[in-house]
Amino acid sequence: MIMVKNLQFKYPGAAERTLRGLDFSIRPGEIFGFLGPSGAGKSTTQKILIGSLKQYEGEVQVLGKEIRTVGSDYYERIGVAFEFPNFYQKFTVIENLRLFQSLYAGPTEDPRILLAKLGLEDAAHQKVSQLSKGMKMRLNFCRSILHRPEVLFLDEPTSGLDPVNSKIMKELILEKKSEGATVIITTHNMQAAEELCDRVAFIVDGHIKLIDSPRDLKLRLGVRQIRVEYRDNQELKAEDFAIDGIGGNERFLQLLRQYPIETMHSRETTLEQIFIDVTGRTLT
Amino acid sequence: MSRLLSAIKFDFRFQLRHGFYGVYVLVCSIYWVLLHYVPTGYKETVTLLLTFSDPSAVGLILAGGIVLLEKDQGIHASLFATPLQLKEYLLAKSISLSLLSLSAAWAIHGFGLGMPDHPVLFSLGVLLTSSMITLLSIGAVVRSQSINGFILLSQLYVLPFTLPLLGFFEIGPSSLYAIIPTSGSLLLLRSSYSTLTAGQIGYSLLILLLGNFLIFKWAHRSFGRQVLRNQWNGGVQG
Repeated sequence: MIMVKNLQFKYPGAAERTLRGLDFSIRPGEIFGFLGPSGAGKSTTQKILIGSLKQYEGEVQVLGKEIRTVGSDYYERIGVAFEFPNFYQKFTVIENLRLFQSLYAGPTEDPRILLAKLGLEDAAHQKVSQLSKGMKMRLNFCRSILHRPEVLFLDEPTSGLDPVNSKIMKELILEKKSEGATVIITTHNMQAAEELCDRVAFIVDGHIKLIDSPRDLKLRLGVRQIRVEYRDNQELKAEDFAIDGIGGNERFLQLLRQYPIETMHSRETTLEQIFIDVTGRTLT
Repeated sequence: MSRLLSAIKFDFRFQLRHGFYGVYVLVCSIYWVLLHYVPTGYKETVTLLLTFSDPSAVGLILAGGIVLLEKDQGIHASLFATPLQLKEYLLAKSISLSLLSLSAAWAIHGFGLGMPDHPVLFSLGVLLTSSMITLLSIGAVVRSQSINGFILLSQLYVLPFTLPLLGFFEIGPSSLYAIIPTSGSLLLLRSSYSTLTAGQIGYSLLILLLGNFLIFKWAHRSFGRQVLRNQWNGGVQG
């Protein structure tokens, strides 16, 4: 679906390259996340993938075509939702969607059905300027999938959303994946990446430091232990046990029998901690 | 073609929604009142100058205003992440504003002098001048950060295009202004009350088409460099 080899890019007038030889591929139907701090190069990578920066070096193929050669018909096949949900403010939700719909030659979704799916049917005749941030973000997503794109690029899809809207957005993204779309996410939000992405790439200083699935990373780089918190009289205590052979661990079994257990968790690490360990950088 | 038509249709609605047409009807009404008091002997000249300086040049302020409004609403990044091409975007602005100019020019002329002698030539003069000035305005606005900056810069850019007015008032040899496309505009507008030779018609159309072509190329390059690059940078960080 997407194949990138030795991708390098330098902005005009910049002293150094922003991208310094990226290699990666993204499979059809995958949710792939680019994680990295501001200025790491993840958004430049996305700009190249969506065809807005064509003066790159190396090979970048999306949907079987080299990006520097694609024309406007490329946008019939990809959807892009930027971090800032911008629309014509004096027009209603449905008017905005109908305008964008009219710019596609291929088949498109019925905007009213999409709005209903995203819980925005009651806002159809409201001006965009009257919508909340959460509603605008959902509308932004709606616009990006209006033409049934095969590849979807989402920039910080959960940025600025409250937990309820964030959950709705994640469900929508997973639904697009289940329909067969390939989704590329650019984000600082490790939790969203952990919940959504099949694989993530850590980008720092124009290099990809690591590509793997969040689950495998957490298992491989985490501590294989279980922490048990229990109440001994009134005192809260905690003990750690190795996962391997835990069924025969007498002390562990004794704790379970003897004390009221308050919590019991495996101690795999977080994606954020792995990022810090691997790159030596934080995401801020 | 259907994408261009969609863009034109939406531009009309955008201009209507932002109240541009309401303001323009008001401006035309003021012109009608003023023309009513112009003595008959001067009416032709005043109407021609009015048509040249306002309907034909309406795009100078409006096109810039529209692009600034769109820029302010951050719409360009989303718009150009669709199959819409920059050339279609520019043509839609140019065509929609030129048609507005044409309506205003006919309204003013119709009230001041009645039906033009050569309506097709008169209409072509308004349309080609308006589209050229609209594109000039877009090339200027992408270099401006504020409405005040745009107004100053657009006046500077349009200044050379007003020089043929000196020729119209017989100040200096008219051949001096022949390379400026608006010389063709003045000739075609004059067709509303006088007859042009075939050479004059050919020259006027040719110089205006050439002017449109060159300014379209310049506006296209300017917009691509100044607006789209910044919009992409604004849309996605890092």
